[in-house]
Amino acid sequence: MTSGAGRALVAVYGLLAVAATARSLVQVLRDLDRAPVAYLLSAFAALVYVVATLALARTGPRARRVAWVAVTIEMVGVVVVGTLSLLVPSLFPEPTVWSTFGAGYGFVPLVLPGLGLLWLRRTSSVPAEPRR
Amino acid sequence: MGTGRAEVVLRGSYPRGVWIPLLLLVGLLCLGLAAWAGWRALTDRPVILRQLLAGAVIEAVLVVQVVLGLVVTAAGDGPDDPVTYWGYLVTTLFVLPVAAVWAFTERTRWSSVVLVVATVTVAFLQYRLLQVWVGP
Repeated sequence: MTSGAGRALVAVYGLLAVAATARSLVQVLRDLDRAPVAYLLSAFAALVYVVATLALARTGPRARRVAWVAVTIEMVGVVVVGTLSLLVPSLFPEPTVWSTFGAGYGFVPLVLPGLGLLWLRRTSSVPAEPRR
Repeated sequence: MGTGRAEVVLRGSYPRGVWIPLLLLVGLLCLGLAAWAGWRALTDRPVILRQLLAGAVIEAVLVVQVVLGLVVTAAGDGPDDPVTYWGYLVTTLFVLPVAAVWAFTERTRWSSVVLVVATVTVAFLQYRLLQVWVGP
């Protein structure tokens, strides 16, 4: 992660990680009984954003693998939960970060994993450290 | 972000006639700075000092909002949900300084991109404060 574009991507990831974590802490610590499924899902999503931010900020093959997994989970999560929240709204009485494809966060949760996957794919053609 | 309830209800003596114009002022300033930074990003140029001065003006208005909030809280008329209210406001204070530090270390167009993200974030948080003010 050495180019300006990559660092900017990490900045946006970090912002979403902070926002999702802070909100999730309030929800889980104070209001968990109101909507346990939705709030625990939000907490999980927040954790994945933190992991993705840290993994994208680091270099090396292990960080890249972690980044691939985390960003893929985000993509699957926002698509699956976004679809479910529209088809079966009763599953999520309170909004999560992934409900309606992240509309509550300006669709950033939908756009960001797309950018992350593109970024990982584009930079993977660059030869990494030699194999041992 | 996205709950339907009025999480923050500021009542009584809260200077609504001051508060809402301040929110709008910051929102408009942020969108103006975002457009400026967006233009520089498109034309492959980094953040310049004049943009940081504009950011400092926005930050000053945010500090005024914090002081107003503290005064009203001290008068016993604080927000219904202080955690959410102060969470938004205190988070807002850190966004532009981070973008400013970024501008010093990243002397490429990507500092302009980061400034766009930062200013849109601040504007969005102002919109959220306005939203929880007005209610569902």
